[in-house]
Amino acid sequence: MQLRYVFTELRTGLRRNLSMHLAVILTLFVSLSLAGVGILIQRQADLAADQLGDELKILVNLCIDDDPSNNPNCAGGEVTAEQQKRIQEEIDGNDEAESSRFVSKEEGFENARDSGQIPESAVSGPNPVITVDSWPAGYWVTLKNPEEADGIISALEGLDGVSVIKDEREALSQIFGIMKVLKYGSWIGSGFLLLAAMLQVTNTIRLAALARRREIGIMRLVGASTLYIALPFLLEALVTAIVGVGLASGALAAFQYWGIEKGLSEHVQFLRPWVDWSDYGASLYGWFPPGILLLGLALTLIPTLLLTRKYVKV
Amino acid sequence: MIRFEKVTKRYAGPGKPALDQVTLDIDKGEFVYLVGTSGSGKSTALRLVLRELRPTTGRVHVAGKEINRMAGWKVPRLRRQIGTVFQDFRLLPNKTVAENVAFAQQVIGKSQREINKVVPETLELVGLKDKGDRMPDELSGGEQQRVAIARAFVNRPMILIADEPTGNLDPQTSVGIMNLLGDINETGTTVVMATHDNGIVDQFTKRVIELEHGKVIRDEASGSYGFQH
Repeated sequence: MQLRYVFTELRTGLRRNLSMHLAVILTLFVSLSLAGVGILIQRQADLAADQLGDELKILVNLCIDDDPSNNPNCAGGEVTAEQQKRIQEEIDGNDEAESSRFVSKEEGFENARDSGQIPESAVSGPNPVITVDSWPAGYWVTLKNPEEADGIISALEGLDGVSVIKDEREALSQIFGIMKVLKYGSWIGSGFLLLAAMLQVTNTIRLAALARRREIGIMRLVGASTLYIALPFLLEALVTAIVGVGLASGALAAFQYWGIEKGLSEHVQFLRPWVDWSDYGASLYGWFPPGILLLGLALTLIPTLLLTRKYVKV
Repeated sequence: MIRFEKVTKRYAGPGKPALDQVTLDIDKGEFVYLVGTSGSGKSTALRLVLRELRPTTGRVHVAGKEINRMAGWKVPRLRRQIGTVFQDFRLLPNKTVAENVAFAQQVIGKSQREINKVVPETLELVGLKDKGDRMPDELSGGEQQRVAIARAFVNRPMILIADEPTGNLDPQTSVGIMNLLGDINETGTTVVMATHDNGIVDQFTKRVIELEHGKVIRDEASGSYGFQH
């Protein structure tokens, strides 16, 4: 196979349909950027749910020595093994609870540090204000229905060893609601634009095949293989996809750096940790949800393969 | 070299078949005219040889292979053994004469060294040795047809199919083209030429197969165009 010829044809094809290719690239750029933002928001929601719990969860803090809540349940000091067993049984037997997870003092302390709930100044120095021992262990209780938690809350709040029940469903529900709107908004927007990009690829191939119909006709008659005839089309689509994906990757990197690292993560503390560069990588190369690389290639190469089969069939 | 066995080709829709139970045999090295009025089935027969169409019933053999059931991926290999020339030349206007001829070699993956050797030889054969750098629109109709013949012959096919090659040319130029096709035939290449040009058929006497309404109504070893029934 003469690659020189294929690349000459590629260059000619790109030049001949320059405006169409630019239109495809710009549409791919915008739609893939939006899709990437959608993926990052999804990952941020997952991170926030890991950190804060989601709107289906309540946190039951257990008593510590000198419990700051002054709850009579903590009159006996640190929760005992027997009290903890009783609390666990109450959770397990409650109809409103789907499941529960024990969070040790150490895990709770680390989570609180990671999310910025405890300022670094409070845990550093020779006499830190807050230590692992002074941090409560607890249970994350996952509810069957976010609307129904009154029964389990009233059952648990009377038990010895239970200090505080943190019910942040309403606040979290608003945060996750906003995230959902942003996520689905960006996905729906990018969905329409990706459809537009796919249709533009289809039109570009159709026009390119029309412009080259005499050459294609001759190639078929002199015995060029289907692959050889289709290769310039596929390479044109590949170049378009690579440029579109490259621009979208750049836009997402800019969003990650200036929008997240230098923006939101410095000013919005309660949602920490924020998505980082590994999440950015997943938005590029991920399989599910598909990253923008996979999306860009699929959106350009699949219609090209299908259409070239139709137009260059030997 | 080419054999049709009771070949019928029916297009979609009502009406008579384009070819109806056609049986014919063309040997290696023969020169055959395919004559008949428009719609008689000449082009259908040529397209069946090129495997651009498949027969509705019957069998088509080309170069020793039954091509009806040939897998799609084998068709390009078949076509490399067949050269094709058209009435309207079908040259690529943005390529020079030499590039047009080389194109037929490039797209089947021939090496640049071979192209550099064979293209000038072929241009010399068709009498365009010094016109390789010209663009097609700088050539006369006869010269353009010579380029088209060079492109069809550059891969040294076993069969050359010519569909009305003199249809756009004046009588004197047509004679030159016929001489060229004759030269190619003398190299052992089978030539099948569909034509309406009675002057040419009568002047260059060869085997004539006449089609009418999709049937072979005449097959003469040294025929003329104007045979009347």
